[in-house]
Amino acid sequence: MNGLFMENIYKSFGDVNVLNGVNFHVQKGEVHALLGMNGAGKSTLMKILAGDLSPNEGTITIDGIEYQFSSPSDAKKAGIGLVVQEVDTALFPSLTVYENIAADDIVETKRRPFLSWKQQKQRSEELLRQVGLSIPLNKLIHECTLHEKQLILLAKVLSSSARYIILDEPTAPLSETETKRLFDIMKQLKSQGVSFIYISHKLKEVKEICDRVTILRDGTVVHRGDVSQLSIEDMIRHMVGRSYETRKKETRTYSDQVIFEVKHLLIPKTNTTVNLQIRQGEIVGIAGLVGAGKTELAESLFAHTKTTGEWFIRGKRYTFSSPKEAIEAGICFIPEERRKQGLFMSETVRTNLTVRLLSSLTKGQWVIKRKEAEVAQQLIETLHIRPSSPHALVKQLSGGNQQKVVIGKWLQTNSDVFIFDEPTKGIDVNAKAEVFSIIRSLADKGKAILYLTSEFQELLDIADTIYVMVDGQLVKRFLAKEVTYEQLIYYSSGGDFHGTTSPFINKEETNVISS
Amino acid sequence: MEQPVLSSIKKKQTLSPLDFLYKHGTLLAILVVIAYFGITLDRFFTYDNFSDILRSISIVTLVAIGITFSLIVDGFDLSVGSTVSLATISSAAALVLYRQEIFVTLLVPILLGIVVGLLNSLLIVKLRLPDLLATLATMYAINGVQLTYTKGFSIYNDMPLPDGGTAPGKFIPSFLFIGQGEVFGIPFSVLLMLLIVIVSHLFLTYTKPGRLFYMTGENREAARLAGIPVNRYRTYAYVISGFFAALGGIVLASRIGTGQVSAGASFLMDGVAAAYIGFSVFGAGKPNVIGTLFGSILIGVLLNGLTMMNVPYYAQDIVKGVILVGALALSHMQKK
Repeated sequence: MNGLFMENIYKSFGDVNVLNGVNFHVQKGEVHALLGMNGAGKSTLMKILAGDLSPNEGTITIDGIEYQFSSPSDAKKAGIGLVVQEVDTALFPSLTVYENIAADDIVETKRRPFLSWKQQKQRSEELLRQVGLSIPLNKLIHECTLHEKQLILLAKVLSSSARYIILDEPTAPLSETETKRLFDIMKQLKSQGVSFIYISHKLKEVKEICDRVTILRDGTVVHRGDVSQLSIEDMIRHMVGRSYETRKKETRTYSDQVIFEVKHLLIPKTNTTVNLQIRQGEIVGIAGLVGAGKTELAESLFAHTKTTGEWFIRGKRYTFSSPKEAIEAGICFIPEERRKQGLFMSETVRTNLTVRLLSSLTKGQWVIKRKEAEVAQQLIETLHIRPSSPHALVKQLSGGNQQKVVIGKWLQTNSDVFIFDEPTKGIDVNAKAEVFSIIRSLADKGKAILYLTSEFQELLDIADTIYVMVDGQLVKRFLAKEVTYEQLIYYSSGGDFHGTTSPFINKEETNVISS
Repeated sequence: MEQPVLSSIKKKQTLSPLDFLYKHGTLLAILVVIAYFGITLDRFFTYDNFSDILRSISIVTLVAIGITFSLIVDGFDLSVGSTVSLATISSAAALVLYRQEIFVTLLVPILLGIVVGLLNSLLIVKLRLPDLLATLATMYAINGVQLTYTKGFSIYNDMPLPDGGTAPGKFIPSFLFIGQGEVFGIPFSVLLMLLIVIVSHLFLTYTKPGRLFYMTGENREAARLAGIPVNRYRTYAYVISGFFAALGGIVLASRIGTGQVSAGASFLMDGVAAAYIGFSVFGAGKPNVIGTLFGSILIGVLLNGLTMMNVPYYAQDIVKGVILVGALALSHMQKK
């Protein structure tokens, strides 16, 4: 019996069932796409296959032999290869290409303490030829491009004679030509009997390279079949399911006056530029998948990363070279990594809340404690921060309350522009509702709001205008009331930007609204 | 920074022996050590001895406050010991070799201390070298500078010069007053130390820049994103560290009345230990000036008692090492 069979896999973490009896089959010599939204269970399934996690129930059979992996090296021996998304985490940057490829052999070789480097070099050369890479064997890893590192990792996986190779978002860091080259190599290896499990958000590429597809939703397989018989729209429909209702949106009004504008803002990581306008009282959403460059955009807007561009706030032109300058011009930033970037964890709530207000709370340089306590107490009450003591340490607060502290430090600064990067990450439903109402009330006060997220439903709930971001560029602009969830997924998955007809529009009445 | 009062309230019901040890261990240790020496040594509880202890503590505390500033911004300054030596030599040279009056004698070492701080911050803040390695390098370089300048000889009154004469100047009384004088029976250097402890404590606890120092060290990225000029504060911290080391060097020169080469070397270890012991005083959990003062009192009392018990100075290093390890272990256990 040839092929990879994961049968009836169950996995739960605590009370949460992540996988509910998943059957996943990969045939020999095919590229098999594994699709699903965030949280559908893809990574858990792949971690089980790679020996990182043990399933609660279920069997793994590879080419007729049943396995029980207790470690990643077990999986490796059974022929499973993993090319991780973050290639840098799997390579040794200051070692050479061939040393990296040989690294596993070195670890595995127990009998012979001495290795023949000549042999290793020959073997590496052969493996590199197999993945179509011609670079000097003595090149150091940190001198290689991302694409080269990825192929080196692939060669390394092949060296352990892997027959089933998991590729996790392999094209995310690649240019179009590099993607083409990767696909050519995959096709070639495929013809030699190697199978690939291909995880990607870029559905267009899935159409191009994959033979068959398994789609997961909430830990169950909802579709399995040939890729050629499935349109991108169908894939999205399977991934999303029918549970997303098009909620009735209360109509917000905002003025026509543009109070925040940025022109030719450089995003250094993707080397792209962005233009953006926000009107007074408008909530602008940026929809983008993980890795689309949203955080990079936010950090460029705030001049946290070195960048170039022109900012206009209430008609006045600025160029910023540090967050300090951006803040002084009236921009606030609520960063994605709130513990790392937004909070002083071992300080009190009060200290965190008043960091931007100290100038108005001091006499000379002396902080007036009474005044500070008042201001902090006021903010705590407006934001419903619990516990309501200004002396509580921030690290003792829940995620939602911590987020309110992060937002709270900007509330009384009289700023015009608020940038929220994934503000609901890791907070519960109630806190989310509170954060939303804070954002709405800021907008109602005439602030310009930018809201970046990969949770598209949130944008439909809160934003007035939505831009879709792909690979560091804003590719589409919609009014929130005129766009559907599926369309946002479609465009952010690399769907056709220049197509004349919008997908889903025609079928919307029959499929989406009926839910 | 206010002490984290709330954490103690919350943990009150479960104040384990370890928590108690962490919060009050330093004070307890000081009391135990004093009691022990008081019982075993006849001359320990005398005015002269206490005045002696306080004098030696005053220099360590000044140096340790500088280290505390570098620790507050999450940095480290290994070069303080060499800066003490440099300041000692330069003030002695100004007095003895160049016959300067008090103003220049104080100004030169302090400027040199500030220059060392600027150099450190150039390496660490601008060139982004790791703080330990950068200040290790400046520590050696500065030590080399003061050795080269003196060719390895100490500077003292009436010292012979290479040209055959004797040195034109001498340690003047106004300078010697700093390390040897007394006001109302209290050594001047101790008053100076107390003044500086109080001023730095108030500055760090109750002023805006003081708070921004702490925030810079607590989370540099969050501080930057909150608009705090973190690099400026880190630079200030190293400059302040150099300044206090220089001040320590001046007091040292004045106390011994000569310019001893490499006299400051031992103050690095004492200062670091004092500052780290300070983390735990009253359970602060972070560098703080009052804690640092208690840290240097502990070290000062211990070294004084050991000396009186005729424990040789080289064996005292073992004790210092053990104390530092203990303080570090205690503060890391608390973090967990």
